[in-house]
Amino acid sequence: MSASGTQRGAEAVRIAVVQARLDHLCRRMGWVMTRTARSPIFSQSHDFSCFATDRNGVLVSTADGIPIHTGGGGFAVRAILDRYGPGGPGVGTADGASGVIADGDVFLLNDPYTAGGNHLPDWVIARPVLVDGRLVAFCCNRAHQSDIGGGAAGTYNPVATEIYHEGLRLPVLRLVEEGRLREDLWELLLLNSRTPELLDGDLRAMLGSTAIGAGQVADLVTDLAAGAVGGAAEGAGDGRQDDPGGGLDGALAALEAVCDHAEARFRARIAELPDGTWEASEHWDDDCFGPADVTIRMALTIAGDEVTVDFAGTDPQVRGFKNSGWVNTWSAVSMGLASYFEPDLPRNEGTFRGVTMRAPEGSVVNAVPPAPMTMNTVIPAHEIVHLVWRCLSQAEPERSLAGWGKNIFPVTAGRGTGDGSGEKPFVMYHWSAAAGGGATGDRDGFNQIGHLIALGGLTLADVETAEQSYPVHVRRQEFRADGGGAGRFRGGTGIEYEVDVNAPARWSFRGEGIGRPTGWGIDGGGDGAGGELVLRPHDGGPEIVAPKYGLVETGPARLLARSPGGGGWGDPRDRPRELVARDVRDGVVSVEQARSQYGWDGPPGDDPAGADSGGEVAGR
Amino acid sequence: MVKVPSVPSDPSQGVLAALDRIADQLERPAAELLGRCQRFVHGSTVATNAVLERRLAPVGLLTTAGFRDALEIRRGIRADQWDHRAPWPPVVVPRSRRFGVGGRIDVEGKELEPLDEDEVGAALDHLAADGVQAVAICFLHSYHNPTHERRAAELARRRWPGPRTVASAELAPLVGEYERTSTAVINAGLVPVVGPYLDRLASALAERGLRAPLLLLQSNGGTVPVEALAARPVHLALSGPAAVGGALPAVDRLVPPIGDRSQPGAPSSPRRMVSMEIGGTSCDVAVAVDGSVPVLDRLELGGHHLTVASVDVHSVGAGGGTVAVIDDAGLLRVGPRGAGSVPGPACYGRGGAEATATDAQLLLGRLAPGPAAGGAIELDLDLARRAVVDGVGTPLGLDEAAAAAGIITVLETHLRQAVETITIERGRDPAAMTLVAAGGAGGLHGSTVARALGCRELIVPARAGVFCATGMLDADLRRDRTRSLLGDLGEQAGPGLAAAVDAEEEAVRQLVRREWPADIEPAIARYVELRYPGQLWSVRIPLAIDDDAASLRAAFEREYEGLYGHIQPDGRLEVTGIGVVATGRLAEPPPVPPPPAPLGRPEPDGRRRCWLGPVAGWAEVPVNRGAGLRPGHQLDGPYLIDDETTTVLGLPGDRLAVTATGAYLVDLTSDTGGGGRPA
Repeated sequence: MSASGTQRGAEAVRIAVVQARLDHLCRRMGWVMTRTARSPIFSQSHDFSCFATDRNGVLVSTADGIPIHTGGGGFAVRAILDRYGPGGPGVGTADGASGVIADGDVFLLNDPYTAGGNHLPDWVIARPVLVDGRLVAFCCNRAHQSDIGGGAAGTYNPVATEIYHEGLRLPVLRLVEEGRLREDLWELLLLNSRTPELLDGDLRAMLGSTAIGAGQVADLVTDLAAGAVGGAAEGAGDGRQDDPGGGLDGALAALEAVCDHAEARFRARIAELPDGTWEASEHWDDDCFGPADVTIRMALTIAGDEVTVDFAGTDPQVRGFKNSGWVNTWSAVSMGLASYFEPDLPRNEGTFRGVTMRAPEGSVVNAVPPAPMTMNTVIPAHEIVHLVWRCLSQAEPERSLAGWGKNIFPVTAGRGTGDGSGEKPFVMYHWSAAAGGGATGDRDGFNQIGHLIALGGLTLADVETAEQSYPVHVRRQEFRADGGGAGRFRGGTGIEYEVDVNAPARWSFRGEGIGRPTGWGIDGGGDGAGGELVLRPHDGGPEIVAPKYGLVETGPARLLARSPGGGGWGDPRDRPRELVARDVRDGVVSVEQARSQYGWDGPPGDDPAGADSGGEVAGR
Repeated sequence: MVKVPSVPSDPSQGVLAALDRIADQLERPAAELLGRCQRFVHGSTVATNAVLERRLAPVGLLTTAGFRDALEIRRGIRADQWDHRAPWPPVVVPRSRRFGVGGRIDVEGKELEPLDEDEVGAALDHLAADGVQAVAICFLHSYHNPTHERRAAELARRRWPGPRTVASAELAPLVGEYERTSTAVINAGLVPVVGPYLDRLASALAERGLRAPLLLLQSNGGTVPVEALAARPVHLALSGPAAVGGALPAVDRLVPPIGDRSQPGAPSSPRRMVSMEIGGTSCDVAVAVDGSVPVLDRLELGGHHLTVASVDVHSVGAGGGTVAVIDDAGLLRVGPRGAGSVPGPACYGRGGAEATATDAQLLLGRLAPGPAAGGAIELDLDLARRAVVDGVGTPLGLDEAAAAAGIITVLETHLRQAVETITIERGRDPAAMTLVAAGGAGGLHGSTVARALGCRELIVPARAGVFCATGMLDADLRRDRTRSLLGDLGEQAGPGLAAAVDAEEEAVRQLVRREWPADIEPAIARYVELRYPGQLWSVRIPLAIDDDAASLRAAFEREYEGLYGHIQPDGRLEVTGIGVVATGRLAEPPPVPPPPAPLGRPEPDGRRRCWLGPVAGWAEVPVNRGAGLRPGHQLDGPYLIDDETTTVLGLPGDRLAVTATGAYLVDLTSDTGGGGRPA
């Protein structure tokens, strides 16, 4: 393998097969998890990632998982290796090259400050893979648990001011020791959760999924060592190919070589961009407890095939739980970079070898203990991805991307069921009020889409299912008019959402998208509309204007939401007239906005096919 | 057996041309053939293509007020989240033709607000002025209480009669307003497109003397007389690949097991099977368990989500025409893009210059240069060599053979993973299954993939190149009906559940009395869908008349444990749906002929130098022509069989027997083989 990573000869075939098998085994771990876990957060929202690293904790595949976890998995395994690997302090007697890591061990961790975690709810199960007594790889599953103690049910505590308020902190723990589950530890974990049955079931699903992955990795390594993988060239021709190398050492080298290929692809892509430095910033006007003025700054420099991302000038960490640590910030930067380029770009740790990140210690993107940070995979991850996109949009405008609206919807908790049959506790995420996405030079923004940090990889619930599951009556879920940022490609409209919650409830607000527009336009495109959220108690009490962050308790009440729109792309006056006319006909752009922003000169009351009045009928 | 090109402007012309060709071949008048025809089964992509090519008729939509955008929100489902720049397919009904109307049914089926018939009327007026050709109606919770939908449909049918008005719950009474709406609007858009085609075809065939009913193959793998589909053409969405529903069980019936079923390790009866049908551009995989191919009540087609009973077929872009390229960092990539039928593989000499899997097979000696597919094409070794060397060999610094081997190795990785997806992802172990390798290219990959998966038995069916088409003749009449029904198993089981299923069964019996030939008595299967709370997927459990909660729980736990390896003892169980399947057998299948007397090992017709895989490498391999093989013949690997519609590659250790019906049955257990695991 040449350091430049460009594959030659039989190695090109072998690496293709190794990457395909690694990606496939990560997806297999994901299937097991989705099918066997208990919490809907896994089966429906896929809030977990299955990944594999080589023996050094370098991520070799992250084919399964939500984009915000991209690139962060290696930190967890390296934390294990620092403690128990070769040269680490270990516990017990060191065992040569594998440190004190034995066959049948499984590790658990979550702490973002000490153990390579991203935020406390995401627990990592990491299973070392040993072949012939040698450590060859790790198979891991990082998954958001239903409850881990702390100050609020459901892992998000909007009034936390220290990480201690956010739940149980786990250093690197040996959860399974040579195949024996540590029962005392297991009991400790369950004792610290409000939902021990779910935690028990979900942890077992995580253990099961990594066991499947580990078996597959062991098979792959064994096949590689036997020369039975992509050794297609051997004996096939006249023998002038380079020998990819057999044996266990050759196998381990092949595992590591997939990163070289990813590195080469990414560097080649970066080298196409002009050298230079581009800057962008995002702002908060709230620190979870009240008005604040917080700026996140990024300077992105491209020099040859290297990228440097520098957060210099970013404000200090805040009181509330929207701080980020190094691991999550690195993940968000990785996701921002990977999502800007072609979707088939490999996404292992090699991809990001050409990337250097700097973040001031004690800032909101590199907080120090005991800053709380549970919100970080959403906020400031959304901001960090936006910043990467804004910088790259200056470097390569032809691929520029507009901003996605930030979410506004609260989580409602109480007791009751959809059919009135019982008093079961419920926790409802109002995903039906999700925001609109930004436009690109290829398409309009999605009018409503799961959040940016999953790139829409989250399926929204049907209204019918929501009404069965919770004591609610949904009254409306329709596109906003004039919500999408104007542009040659229009931003997503955002949503008008109305729901009656017919039970006393506790509302946990985390609506970064309330107020100012958050889905910014690009290259002449306009910003999407800001979000609005109010609560109207059924008893006729005064209307409650929702705070951005905080907890409110009410009796039965109606929630009215206008979710933010996405940003527009390009000059709206360049939008094809038939599309402007269609948007007017569809009632998602008003005649006034069509005239003022799109320069539309359609006749007043233009009503092709009588559809405007149709909109009125429909828009009750 | 004939194949003719399709006629996109009027597909019925293609059907008639095929008939004329058969008549020529048999030297009989077409009218005589049709007159004596006992069964005429038609698989048609006319609905599939209308959806994929966006040729649906203009449709209007009525929804519950406040929810007219569910169709366009699509629940936010993204096929590949990383490909976030890709737009969704254009919405089938633009917003200006979607009307929310007053009236509300609640989650328990009670009316909260009466249907606002004035608003319905006003919306229909607008739609009429807008010139829509069909109307779909989907109101919230209509799967529970369809009265509002029915009334609105009554009003709509005054202008859009019969099937041109579609009420969602009549088509698919399932929870989920997005999927139900999507199914209703696509059905509505197909009615004016598919109906005239089916009418033209039926009358043309009748004019030419067909007296047997014209049967269409539905997505559920079963057939139905053509008249029934006028109102629900969306059930043709998967007509074609769905034929595997008849084809796989037929293979199981016709091919005897290797050895004695009572021996340990012998295949179960019926076999657990997984099929790969590998054609020019894609590989379709499906499984058969308990004698049938699973039918799901969901289908994705061209980015649209449909709640239509459909055979569970998984398709990947890996076939003979799949293209190999080198990416910008020097890695070999095979697929998913294919060279299509034009230009096709480079060796076809139709102008293709990119290296494809077929070109690689030719260079590896697995295919023979010269005439192929009954002389329809000529495989040109030089063209294959140029494409593989220029496209893969030179950029990678590999000689032509190594480059070709690399292409096949990567392709077979994708094939193996496709099989693992439909087995392991659905909780089935492929190592315990028989692999059925079909399609024009299936025979070349069957042994390698089967060995990689740990399968003990491989079958290459007779006429493997037209496996699905022959499967249609084996398909039964079939009608599925599924309905959402939610509740706790403890509360639902007993008389309530039985009554609900009885009602569905009665509805199905009425339907088939109307739709099927009069003398066919349906066989009825009833099932209930169960899951643990919080889970997304339900498990279908057969429902017997006398089942109670305890016996259903036991059956669920058996099935669940088999799928996922564990159960939650005493865990609460939820009912999510009930269903009834009616099947009808048109005629008893011909008896299975007795096993042939052993004929020993035939002399090879020739030899080819051929690459067998990474471990066995190159060898002189005996070649037999398929036409020269007789039931009872045996071959020991390595071998090649040049058959009319496929080529079969046997690896060292493979033991092949020609069965009484001409299928190839391969025992993979005689030793570990020299083919090695593919990567």
